[in-house]
Amino acid sequence: MQDLSTLQIKGIKDPWKAGIAGGWNVIDGRTLTSDQTLEADVIIIGSGAGGGVSAEILSQRGLRVILVEAGKLKSSDAFNMDEGDAYRDLYQEGAMRANKDASMTILQGRTVGGTTVVNWTSSFRTPRETLQHWHDRYGVKGLDRETLDPWFERMEKRLNISKWAMPPNANNDVLRKGCEAMGWRWAVIPRNVSGCWNIGYCGMGCPTNAKQSMLVTTIPAAMTAGAVLVHSAQADHLLIEGDKVTGVAVHPLDDNKQRTGATLTLKAGTVIAAGGGIQTPALLLRSKAPDPNGRVGKRTFLHPTTFSYGRFDQEMAPYYGAPQSMYSDEFTFKHGVEGPAGYKLEMMPLHPGLASALLGGYGADAREEIAQLPNLTGAIALLRDGFHEDSVGGTVELRDNGEPLLDYPVNDYLLDGAKRAHLTMAEMQFAAGAKAVRPGHSHAGYYNRWQEARAAIEGFDYAPVITGMGSAHVMGGCAMGDDDQHCVVNADGSYKYLDNLYVIDGSVLPTSLGVNPQLTLYSLSAKNATALADKLTA
Amino acid sequence: MDQGLNRRGFLKLSAAGSALLATGSGLALLTGCSSNDGPAQGYRYLRSQDLDLLRPLARAVLGPAIAAVPDASADSALHAFENLLDGAMPGTRAALFQVFDLMQLAPARWYITGTWAHFADQSETELAQTLAHWSASDRSLSRMAFKGLTQPLFMAWYVEPDAARTTGYPGPPQKIVA
Repeated sequence: MQDLSTLQIKGIKDPWKAGIAGGWNVIDGRTLTSDQTLEADVIIIGSGAGGGVSAEILSQRGLRVILVEAGKLKSSDAFNMDEGDAYRDLYQEGAMRANKDASMTILQGRTVGGTTVVNWTSSFRTPRETLQHWHDRYGVKGLDRETLDPWFERMEKRLNISKWAMPPNANNDVLRKGCEAMGWRWAVIPRNVSGCWNIGYCGMGCPTNAKQSMLVTTIPAAMTAGAVLVHSAQADHLLIEGDKVTGVAVHPLDDNKQRTGATLTLKAGTVIAAGGGIQTPALLLRSKAPDPNGRVGKRTFLHPTTFSYGRFDQEMAPYYGAPQSMYSDEFTFKHGVEGPAGYKLEMMPLHPGLASALLGGYGADAREEIAQLPNLTGAIALLRDGFHEDSVGGTVELRDNGEPLLDYPVNDYLLDGAKRAHLTMAEMQFAAGAKAVRPGHSHAGYYNRWQEARAAIEGFDYAPVITGMGSAHVMGGCAMGDDDQHCVVNADGSYKYLDNLYVIDGSVLPTSLGVNPQLTLYSLSAKNATALADKLTA
Repeated sequence: MDQGLNRRGFLKLSAAGSALLATGSGLALLTGCSSNDGPAQGYRYLRSQDLDLLRPLARAVLGPAIAAVPDASADSALHAFENLLDGAMPGTRAALFQVFDLMQLAPARWYITGTWAHFADQSETELAQTLAHWSASDRSLSRMAFKGLTQPLFMAWYVEPDAARTTGYPGPPQKIVA
């Protein structure tokens, strides 16, 4: 039996411990109980892929940067690989975020380093098909692959991105074997890791600092260059004077994510919104930012993801080992870029909390199912949303208290994709030797043969909520492009209707990507932050 | 609590049809209609009426899972639930509490689960039948409520290390900080 519970992880240096001792300027919002004002050249709201990369580039060019993060500062010494602790401290809404009708669970990071601290390290360049679609449909100029490739190369080098060289874990080997048997394309996933221990806790904060997240790369570099980090502090609204942004009003938060009562006023000549999909549109909505065509928060995409569980006779230990190392693009663009929903095939790690929540059910059957976790594998299909006229994504709204809520109805376009993805995944898992397969649907049981599974899938009621769906990729809501009917941000990140405001994060994507987003966001952010640095230091 | 207002609110809600319910806006009609005496003794968020609702539900949903952990009870599951709620934002918790409040209303229970009786007044067998009927319902609100109530119970329970190990998961490596 695979058992890593006696493995000791020790001798790991926490870069934040040394950094803070060496003079990094870190302000803990929990300690702020009276009003304060700070000034800088650039304020960056959000410390994930967009904010982290921007902070490094701008501060190394000599600009005074304040980086604001709503989540806490937790780093390797505190990463104990406990699933519950991770959800509470590192995820939006304690991993209880969902769309408005609760049909999709949304896993998104909320900590210093953002989602890069909890993602599963898959790093892909933006597909050419996606970039061409943006050019043709949304007037996104100057973002073809030839222009972006040097930026991909730069960030691949910065974050040590390369194809995973070790053998895949048993869970990921299901994808390789299944696709091989079916004659479908498969390949090894490039990962942003350095000295990875291959233990499987990317989603809970890397305890060895192998994952090259913003927490251990760009943000430390920015801190060394003099940036100020304010964490546990929520950007409430932009300060707007006429048609200019002049700063941000920030609410420090206590340990219970409640306001301490103080207001931190941050003033700067340039403000970068980098809260990511959902948070950045919500900030603009709370700020009542000008938006003549009512586009802020619209077309928010999720790569709605469907599941299929394959049970094996032998132990698979789906909780251990690099969580994602194999993928298949056989079905990503199979029916055309703008056709029925395409999907990328990957695997997901299965730890007890998340696995039990996704498996669902109740009583003795649910217990019997989760008690076979060591023999279970989890295939996922990421549906490419936003490319077809019937796929308009979701809309970010504000709750009465200003918190964001995503209204994203699961429609027939997505449900058709979910059904086809269930068929594909079941066939793949049986081809890989699964003894039984259960599609991620409330009405599904385990089927012992492919023909039996196929007949069941053909007969299911494909409806929201009962069709298991989730998301770990929030994109869009402040689309970039020349098409003013859809877009609020220019391709360089500048906001169309306010001066001094830039959006450098996943919210600028006009559609979903068809690949895990992090490398796109690192590279696009590096490009736009560099151009901004050139402008500000000219 | 003004039951009359709640019933009227609920009837309006059911008449508006499942399309409205599916958007969740129906639930918002009930905002402010619930009694709120604060958390029950020993709890940080759950009110005494929530415990009456969730204790029997936890037994029915998680019973065999709870039995697998020595000395655990339905209340252990509710405390685990509170640990999960700790991470949520106030708005997330408020939305969940709206579902709890809805389930306190007999007409809502009938519409959602097919049974008028409060969970606390149903025998183990009756509650099992209720769950069987409810989980198979084709009403949008029933599906939302079933997932909304059961999914966090599972997540909360199985992230607890003692419960996690009953799945066959040996647990994480040991992080040792010098």
